[in-house]
Amino acid sequence: MSGMECEQLRELDAELALGVLPAHERAEAVAHLDRCPECREHVERLTLVGDGLLALLPGAEPPVGFESRVVRALGAAPVPKRRRHRLRLAAATVAAALACGFGGWTIGTAVEAAPPTVSQRTDGGLREAALVSDGHEVGRIYAHAGDEGWVYMSVDLDENGRGPVRCLLVHADGSTVPMGSFPLKDGYGYWGGPVATDPTTLTGARLMGPDGSLLATASFPTS
Amino acid sequence: MWRMGLSLGRVPDEALLTGLTTDDPEFAVAFVRRFQRTVFGVAIAVVGDTQLAEDVAQQTFERAWRHAQVYDPRRGSVRSWLTAIAHNLAIDAVRARRVSPVAPEDLDALLGSVTETPERRALADDSAERVRRAVAELPREQARALVMAGIYGMTAREVADAEDVPLGTAKTRIRTGTLKVRALLEAAEKR
Repeated sequence: MSGMECEQLRELDAELALGVLPAHERAEAVAHLDRCPECREHVERLTLVGDGLLALLPGAEPPVGFESRVVRALGAAPVPKRRRHRLRLAAATVAAALACGFGGWTIGTAVEAAPPTVSQRTDGGLREAALVSDGHEVGRIYAHAGDEGWVYMSVDLDENGRGPVRCLLVHADGSTVPMGSFPLKDGYGYWGGPVATDPTTLTGARLMGPDGSLLATASFPTS
Repeated sequence: MWRMGLSLGRVPDEALLTGLTTDDPEFAVAFVRRFQRTVFGVAIAVVGDTQLAEDVAQQTFERAWRHAQVYDPRRGSVRSWLTAIAHNLAIDAVRARRVSPVAPEDLDALLGSVTETPERRALADDSAERVRRAVAELPREQARALVMAGIYGMTAREVADAEDVPLGTAKTRIRTGTLKVRALLEAAEKR
């Protein structure tokens, strides 16, 4: 057989979308979808029916002890919280929250995530940069440009950091907007909230100590 | 203006999934706690056996944990992603054990469950309720075929055998039911 045509595909569209097409037919159908955007879109729309059906299934309480067994299987045995990892988790969590338009803030204990980059754009609306002090990353800052602009920052200055610290957001023309003053606990703190400036116009941030000294800086990517 | 330290119970699903990529037990517990009823509900509906459903549900969380970094929010919610994983694993488990995919009484009960429209849902107009109403509007034989294929993962041949109808009839019922539901959903979305 030289390959499935649109007409043949449409006869199998529902079975394909519901995932019940026998293997040999499925292979031919998928090959057709690879070269036919119209049929691909058509089948994708039908898959929403299957997804919708599954969403109607009633929830059910699993057997007693299920939660513990699963958590154990995930290898997440309780361990002491490691301070140096806090930033990673806070950053990862808030980045996800921001990217999803979550209008609040959340912090948890910290764990290792993917190695950080110095600065990057995480999506069209979320900008991220490292807070750097003496060449070392001491925190991260996120600026989200959505219907409402938000900025989030986390910093870990170890024993050197004593609050309160002051954060200034920096524009391209050098002008600054105060983000606020915040306390640190054992050198660690995190803050976030709406900002009265367009986050897309920001080029960076400065973190100032209580005596006016420059503690750390951040530079957002320019493109 | 500034808020700190919201409990994990209020963390968005996507953020919780991000936390799962770490080895922090607090996130694992919160994640499992939030989704276990959904995941186990899918598993038990498809496999009909508590022990097997528990295995499927556990595998679902393990798979989600391993693949959390490739989750793409543009393709659906965390809940629907997990549901799809659980569904695929449940169907694989049933097929691997070569047991009958569904008993007639289980099908009737499930069909009743997914088409029931209690008063508290009557005015709801979210996506799930639109699907529910659309399925409820189908002729019974099409709704049965759609549920057999879409939830139990039965092929058209298996539907034909279960319903004692020709293969062509089973295929037509699955397709017609699916297209009707899709059309009803699109009409509802345009309103």
